[in-house]
Amino acid sequence: MRCRLSPKTAPYVFIAPFILVFCIFTAYPLIQSMFLSATQTYGPKSSTFVGMANFQYLLADPFFWKALKNTAIFAAASVFIQLPCALGLALLLNRSDLKGRAFMRLVFFSPSLVGLVFVAIIFGLIFEKRTGLLNVTAHRLMPTFNIDFPWLQEYVMPALIIASLWMYVGFNMVYFLAALQNVSKDLLEAAAVDGAGPWHRFWHITVPAIRPVATFVVLLSLIGSFQLFELPYILLGNSAGPENQGLTVVMYLYQTGFEIGDLGYASAIGWLIAILLGVFAVTQRLLAKGEE
Amino acid sequence: MCIRPRRAYISLSLGAWIIIGIALVSTLVVLCWPIPQRRGLEFWVFSRTHADFYTPVIADWNRSAPADGVPEVNLLNISSDALCRRAMSGFLSNTPLADMMEIERSQIGQFFSGPVNDIGFTDLTDRLHKEGIDTALNEPSFGPWTSRGRVYGLPHDVHPVMLAYRADLVEAAGIDINQIETWDDFARIMKPMIQDFDGDGRPDRYLLNLWYTNPDSVEMMILQAGGNFFDAQDRLVVASETNARVLATLVSWCEGPNRIAADTPEFSASGNELRLKGFVVCSLMPDWLAGVWKSDLPKLGGKIKLRPLPTWTKGGCQTSVWGGTMLGIPKNTKDFSAAWNFVQRIYLSESVAKQLYQTTTIISPVKALWKSDFYDVPEPYFSGQAPGRLYINLAPQVPRRNSSPYNTLAKQRVLDATIALRQWAVANKTYERTALEPVAQKLLQEAQAQVQRQMNRNTFLTPGEAR
Repeated sequence: MRCRLSPKTAPYVFIAPFILVFCIFTAYPLIQSMFLSATQTYGPKSSTFVGMANFQYLLADPFFWKALKNTAIFAAASVFIQLPCALGLALLLNRSDLKGRAFMRLVFFSPSLVGLVFVAIIFGLIFEKRTGLLNVTAHRLMPTFNIDFPWLQEYVMPALIIASLWMYVGFNMVYFLAALQNVSKDLLEAAAVDGAGPWHRFWHITVPAIRPVATFVVLLSLIGSFQLFELPYILLGNSAGPENQGLTVVMYLYQTGFEIGDLGYASAIGWLIAILLGVFAVTQRLLAKGEE
Repeated sequence: MCIRPRRAYISLSLGAWIIIGIALVSTLVVLCWPIPQRRGLEFWVFSRTHADFYTPVIADWNRSAPADGVPEVNLLNISSDALCRRAMSGFLSNTPLADMMEIERSQIGQFFSGPVNDIGFTDLTDRLHKEGIDTALNEPSFGPWTSRGRVYGLPHDVHPVMLAYRADLVEAAGIDINQIETWDDFARIMKPMIQDFDGDGRPDRYLLNLWYTNPDSVEMMILQAGGNFFDAQDRLVVASETNARVLATLVSWCEGPNRIAADTPEFSASGNELRLKGFVVCSLMPDWLAGVWKSDLPKLGGKIKLRPLPTWTKGGCQTSVWGGTMLGIPKNTKDFSAAWNFVQRIYLSESVAKQLYQTTTIISPVKALWKSDFYDVPEPYFSGQAPGRLYINLAPQVPRRNSSPYNTLAKQRVLDATIALRQWAVANKTYERTALEPVAQKLLQEAQAQVQRQMNRNTFLTPGEAR
């Protein structure tokens, strides 16, 4: 049996299964959530059209702004603390005179193999008052250190940043390491011969060479930060922590949609997050184009 | 794929046909695969303890089921969050669910936030009244499962709260705990027990396991003091004077020169370790927690005693309430009468109540059973006391709770107010309860406004119904 397709129609036939799945599981829910964001709803039987009221409420909602602020702080820490640390480690491991590089690469990368939920549980134990590893160790080294130091009560964001630093530095390091290995050694040697010091070589040769990868890693970090949910949720015992210090936008969406049951409002939050992430992606594209 | 441009047609290669064949065959297999039919009644629970306890009861039921012509019961233990999500999805989409399900108190609000006709559980009000069950059970136990005057579940428990204390430490300190009537007495009489053993300037023993960041503790103390988040008509009453006084007191207990409380969380290894070391002398203990301690902290056996909670005012309420479970029957159950019979068997019968108490220390809400002898059996773990009798003595005083869909939100905002009050106290170095009360009142008014704002968005709860 032979079935014949014209070259014009063949591509469409081949992508049809994907289009079908995409329409059912992505496009339709997206459109539906757009309608949902304009309703006050309790299931399909009870739904009231409220227009832009959910978005108006959202823009005046102090908890949404608190969540956005927390998420932005976390994202900033990811970009300005986590990525420089990752780059530093990558520069260290890129040195040819360093012994045990492969082993160290494995050690630094291994935390990212651990699931986020496990990381949250482990750090929950580490940050415990009085019995936590961090406080007990610090108290033994410095008896004046308060063994009841309330990490998860008053320093929630630093605790989250430390936990994510441990988890993701090694992961981002791999990107930077790959980029560094493609930096032209000839250029670096030529610059050294011309009298350029390590800082100048790094700033004028290495940084421009790794910029596309760095831009990509920054975007990934920002998107990842705006999707932050499991780490604070588990670390803070299925809550946003005292004074909502660990409340993130995705967690607020979850609380609104699945704990309060306000699916219309949760959809509005989801759309606002999507718009924000879209802005980041477009900015990254524009930056990348500028570099090209 | 073989492209034949001359004929402007392409034919599918053998590989492509194999892929298509596999797709078709697998689709047919999936379509024709027999879906196992659920036999009998399905019963979902969220607690492993409950599941372990129900397993032999259900085995008994199933042994006699064929002869009695009633359907068998199949038990499924799912985490509370997953159970509620599945239940909500099923209710909203009208798809088949379990025939009976247990719901925890903190989760029930979401089922009541829509129009009354869309509540997925069967309205049991008339049946309970007709069969006299509404008066046979402890009345406040119905509170969390009642929405807009209708009851949607049978209460599993009462959960009165007592004060559990380290009798070995208290007696060694020569303190007569019977002299304590109020919380003020408690702080004054027990204060000598706060001690710094290692001389680092920080006490290594506090009086009470209670912390201002624990929403359950805050709610429990508010309820004991006669406060609440909603009144009997489900109107928001967060910013009450009683609530403000409780918040101010809790903060004065957790910070400043009169600190008596410490944070030793339940259900955690670190909390248990601190309890074993005697870091805290007393804990707030509902009946279910007594069972948990017996299982998780066997080394404390013989060192613990129970007594009623100190009161907020002389002659005040000596207990509170923490936790709670109901058993509901979804409207789309296959066989309501069989489900109802089963529910009565496991929630109302004496034999099951006895097993429940002996396994978990939870007392039954059935008032007629409170006279049963098995509640009078002394327990070595509680230094020879009979915890069942002690809890039952307090059961009539248990405060009534509401079922507002916004209770969890209100609880969270009250907790935020407590934390803000503590920050204010530290910043202003003001720890006296009387000085904290006006600030607490102001913070609670803000909390109330925030919850009210959220409630006002709900177009399905008409004024007078749940506002």
